[in-house]
Amino acid sequence: MRILLAEDEVVLCDQIKRLLSAEGRIVDVVHDGQEAGFLGSTEPYDMIILDIGLPIRDGISILKEWRGNGITTPVLILTARDGWSDRVDGLDAGADDYLTKPFHLPELAARVRAALRRSSGRTNPLFERDGVVFDTRHGRATVHGVPVDLTSQEVAVLTYLIHNAGRLISRTELSEHIYEYDGDRDSNTIAVFINRLRKKLGPELIQTMRGRGYMIDGP
Amino acid sequence: MLSLRKRAWISGGIAALVSLSVGTLLLYSFLNQRVLQRFDRALLDRHTQIVVALNSVSEDPALLGELLFDPDYQTPFSGRYWQVTGPDGQLFTSSSLLDATLPGPAEASSTLTILSVANPEVEEVRLAQQLITLEDGSTWTVAVAETLAELNAERLETRRSLLAAFALVAVIGLASVLVQTASIMRPLDRLRRDVAHRWDRDEDLSEADYPEEVAPLVADINGLLARNREIISRSRRQAADLAHALKTPSAILRNELSVLAEGTHDLDKALEALDRVDAQLGRSLARLRTANSGEATQTRTDLSHSVGRFARMFGMLAEREGKAFRIACEPGLTIRMDAQDVEEVLGNLLDNALKWCRSRMALTVRKQPQGIEVLIEDDGPGIPEADRAEAMRPGARLDTSKPGTGLGLAIANDLLQAYGATLALEDSATLGGLAVRITLPPERVRASKEPPRGQAAPQASRAGNL
Repeated sequence: MRILLAEDEVVLCDQIKRLLSAEGRIVDVVHDGQEAGFLGSTEPYDMIILDIGLPIRDGISILKEWRGNGITTPVLILTARDGWSDRVDGLDAGADDYLTKPFHLPELAARVRAALRRSSGRTNPLFERDGVVFDTRHGRATVHGVPVDLTSQEVAVLTYLIHNAGRLISRTELSEHIYEYDGDRDSNTIAVFINRLRKKLGPELIQTMRGRGYMIDGP
Repeated sequence: MLSLRKRAWISGGIAALVSLSVGTLLLYSFLNQRVLQRFDRALLDRHTQIVVALNSVSEDPALLGELLFDPDYQTPFSGRYWQVTGPDGQLFTSSSLLDATLPGPAEASSTLTILSVANPEVEEVRLAQQLITLEDGSTWTVAVAETLAELNAERLETRRSLLAAFALVAVIGLASVLVQTASIMRPLDRLRRDVAHRWDRDEDLSEADYPEEVAPLVADINGLLARNREIISRSRRQAADLAHALKTPSAILRNELSVLAEGTHDLDKALEALDRVDAQLGRSLARLRTANSGEATQTRTDLSHSVGRFARMFGMLAEREGKAFRIACEPGLTIRMDAQDVEEVLGNLLDNALKWCRSRMALTVRKQPQGIEVLIEDDGPGIPEADRAEAMRPGARLDTSKPGTGLGLAIANDLLQAYGATLALEDSATLGGLAVRITLPPERVRASKEPPRGQAAPQASRAGNL
């Protein structure tokens, strides 16, 4: 799952990125409103974390523009302002959730997971299929109760496929959601990740539609 | 200080009375003078008449009585007399004197002397007397006199009619002072009404609507209004900046500490200290906010619109948690309270309701005789009556099982008090949990009332504590 983090405080960005990456999320970080507006409109993010008080352009106006252009990506707004008016303004502008600073990082992670689950229509954070259990909260998997070690890229691929279960995902789409903006995107490596996942979790979980992409059966 | 109206009345009244009195006195003495001159001229004419008559009958002055046939000279004590003293001291008088004689200066002079004399034998008279030398060389003292009774009566009459005129003019003068005062005061009265009226709508006053003497005051008032708005918005901005400047570093610090705490370090004390910093920060910012509210702001807010915003927001949040949120709000309700303050109150109280309710919460806004009532109810555990006062204390948390700062209820209460509104905690009759009942008083007429002293003082002390 690829997340855009727009926050002007560099240290806070590092902390959030560290946290979300540990859960297998791909995080693009921007520090000003202009860049946030641009990336949010052009890149296929699964979620956006948006600070309201960004330099150059404020978060609310960016959010309104996205929503006006039909971008429905879930947006979690961060605000350092106490006022309820700011929070309502944010939700009225189309945000899905808000968090007031200073927040606890686990709280942020929980809000991100909840927003992703809501957008995928899943209510249960645990994915279970034929003895494979994947906890989308922490990116941990077990096969028949035995823990399986997954790399962060494998977690990213699996999470995206589970969140979009029942839908055919092309290699290009998959690569767009597991690599950072300026990362080295090589769709051939996707096949490598899929093969490794099949080895670790069993061959039936992920289906390959030759030349078209991959799919996990719907819930 | 003495009111302008009273000043105008008093000074206008005094000026009118003084000028009228002086005018009347001058007029009276002028008329007096003229009456006396006329009287003296008539006296002189009669004196000349006697001298002429004497000239023709100086051989036999006793004939004078026949020559001077004015009936008043014949009637005893008629008030008009003549008296001639011959060279050898012989005395000839008008019959009106009977056997009395006219008083006069002891030494008769050859120049004509006119004077008023009190005469014990007759009455007070005006006397004209002269020493006359006839052609034959004989010298005679000729005197005529006339009673002053008539002159005095005329003077009295003049005085009376003057006083009547004076009274009439005085009444007109005082009335015109009142009219003038009212006309001068009218722009000031209008200014007062206008200020009250426009204050409500947060508009500036138009200088062109006022006389040039009042226009600078209007400009000053506009300046004050603008400054008032500016101060409020600046302090709010400062509070927001302060919040931003402190909260982000605090978040960073907390995150680093949390990561370290997951390792081997025991950082509970540090995290606890940071909690205290955050709590104090939240409280101080809330105080800062309250200090800039209430009477300081005079904007009107569409309450129904704000309720609609929160209905959408909490409807969504409640739905996510599988809870039901029922909203009933009359349309078109407005209150005199800053929009951000209204939303602060609604947000804090609805947040509490959502946090504590089991499955249902409700918001009811309606017009009541005593003002607009906002009722927020939930089906949660409620607050026992004995604990309700404690629940209003800033930072008080009766139940720490759910996250929170314990500030929400206290902030809402402080804000409402600043506007003269009330907040009461009750049992919810329909949902069984807590009911928070807010009563916003009906809109007040600002012009006639100063903010209650009791409210200004705690605001100041709150600000001072920061």
